[in-house]
Amino acid sequence: MELILQFIINGLIQGGFFALFAVGLVLIFGVMSVVNFAHGELVMIGAYTIWLLHAQNGFGFIPAIFVAVMLVTIIGLLMERFLFRPTRDDPLAGLICSIGVLFILQVVATLVGGDGPSKQVPPPFHGTLVLFDFLRIPYQRIFSLVVSVGALSLLWYFLTRTKLGWALRAVALDREAAALQGININRISMIAIGVGGALAGLAGALMAPLTNINPHMGHNVIITAFIVTIVGGVGSLSGAVLAAVLYALFHTFVTVYFGGTVATICGLILMVVVLIVKPTGIMGVRVSE
Amino acid sequence: MEISRRDILRATAAGAVIAGTSGLPTNLFAASNKTVKIGMNIPMTGDYAPWGLPGLYGCEIVAKDLNAAGGVKIGGDNYNIEMVAFDHAYDTEKAVQGYKKLVLEDDVKMVMMLGGSTVASVLPWAQRKKMLTTTLLPSDITTKSDYLIATCESHPLYNVTGVEWLAKNFPNAKTAAIVTNNDAEYGLQSAATYKAAFEVEGIDVIDVNLHGFDITDFAPIVSSVLAKKPDIFCMATSFYVTPLMEQLYHQGFKGKIISCTLDYYDEIIAKTSEEFVNGTIFQFPDFDDPALNDKGVNFPNPGDFDAKFRKDHPNDWSAVSWEYPAILLNWIEGAKQAGSVEPTKVLKALKSNKNPEFVFGGGQWWGSQLWGQDNSVVGRWPVVVVENGKARIKEFRSVSSWLAKNKKVLIKHMKELGLRTV
Repeated sequence: MELILQFIINGLIQGGFFALFAVGLVLIFGVMSVVNFAHGELVMIGAYTIWLLHAQNGFGFIPAIFVAVMLVTIIGLLMERFLFRPTRDDPLAGLICSIGVLFILQVVATLVGGDGPSKQVPPPFHGTLVLFDFLRIPYQRIFSLVVSVGALSLLWYFLTRTKLGWALRAVALDREAAALQGININRISMIAIGVGGALAGLAGALMAPLTNINPHMGHNVIITAFIVTIVGGVGSLSGAVLAAVLYALFHTFVTVYFGGTVATICGLILMVVVLIVKPTGIMGVRVSE
Repeated sequence: MEISRRDILRATAAGAVIAGTSGLPTNLFAASNKTVKIGMNIPMTGDYAPWGLPGLYGCEIVAKDLNAAGGVKIGGDNYNIEMVAFDHAYDTEKAVQGYKKLVLEDDVKMVMMLGGSTVASVLPWAQRKKMLTTTLLPSDITTKSDYLIATCESHPLYNVTGVEWLAKNFPNAKTAAIVTNNDAEYGLQSAATYKAAFEVEGIDVIDVNLHGFDITDFAPIVSSVLAKKPDIFCMATSFYVTPLMEQLYHQGFKGKIISCTLDYYDEIIAKTSEEFVNGTIFQFPDFDDPALNDKGVNFPNPGDFDAKFRKDHPNDWSAVSWEYPAILLNWIEGAKQAGSVEPTKVLKALKSNKNPEFVFGGGQWWGSQLWGQDNSVVGRWPVVVVENGKARIKEFRSVSSWLAKNKKVLIKHMKELGLRTV
């Protein structure tokens, strides 16, 4: 029982991270039809910013998070304006551009952080909450979970309660129809990648004190993001959030009871099974040709 | 213009006075020395960089000191040591390119490498070229690798000394769980050695938890292991010690912790607490440790080396900082003995010494029973424990004595994990 509760808590916290970066990927794909391979590196840049500002130069953790979010948002906007917009009619070109950005960001991180060991960020929130004498949750993880849920709630409000959000969803549903309604596609694309980048930056910033930070950490992030996106349904934001939580719980469960190696294999098998059995994912919609 | 012998002596004397008063480096006077190049084909970027780059820094310090002292006398000639490094980023293709570049273009006389797949990729070529090559992983040695030696780190055989010490000092610790990455080069070799060492000490291994390199959250792994309530948490990994220690701290582990390495333990203390990290047992000392003044230790002025390293590279000390320099010193001893810098002659001289100058003393060639050739040096190895936030050697114990008594147990566990033995 103790172990089950502990794995549920661990899984929910993981789910928060997964949802942050997977939703950004889905948003960018939905609006711009670009598979952003550099999304993991956007998360990495968020983590590096925390390391550089907070761990190395004594900035407060919260201000450093804001800087990380802003920085990654700006990188996203630049990618949209100078890479994805000129190649909008060719999804393959956008994909290749994103792979180029992936390598550039890795090299930038190496130049900034230097070679050598993975970077570590001391947790700003020390200590552990102990419930019922056995359930142990580090305050740093509680903080990350609260911020993740807060950010996703804000996103939900933005998408469902604001005109810009409606416009964004309209473009994701049908770009041409949206344009015919007078929606500025360029502006909406900028907003989509801005929001996606901000969420990736936030995910990296929140993960920074909890993981090894290195220029290649985005690799694992993007694989997880793809699994979550496919399981949730490509293009479905609510599907991505649901899949993120379910996949995190599934991955944590398998890790606890069968080991980390099996969990990795099972995650990839799950993705393949969904692609074969239900290609639209949990909440994706079949689109007719 | 005619220059007499007296002019040269006068000029030399004047130069010495100028150098003595102006602080010019003394190695200017070693300018007439020959130069011998030693290659390092190592990861200097990427995930494995902590096991490459600090070693280059260490070698550069040793080479600079030797050159400043007039070089190394080998076979009647004085040689300056020049380190030539290639970054293979732990990529086998690059490792082959780097190896060929070092041997063919740079004309190095020995190539130092980390080990694993990058060494395996260069071995056939090294064999053809008869190029002296070193590894930190003796498990790279095969019956067909005559020119590959492991004269310093005998990963992971030294781990047995930590378990011996733990069992002696904490006899109530009777169960252990091992966590490691699932690769055959580092993780499984280490897991097999730990399993053998625990068996010899009568400690039950109740869990061996293997994971891949894609893990970003160690909370579930640690929860799973701690649910089995081990007395000892053993990290046979090196890559993920920090996040594992962090999780052990948060999940309230109170037992003994033993680890192969504890690189950057100050960062672990910053993430947990000094009180928690104190008592952790591992195998790699800081070189300002007074215990290294022990007369059996074959490393000149370890404290001075440690100070220079940390001054020049304050955040880069790792397990390999002193290991590649120790190999370099082994090579110098071999070259002096051979009276030559030629790889085959140095190798022959090194192998002819039945008691080679192992860094912690007590060295002997070993390995034929496990890997097919006695090309690995094993000897004494330190057991290091964190005390008051600082790594301190508690004892030197003999790896060779352990192997003499228990090699069959080790071979059994290596076979169980599917590892190559002869």
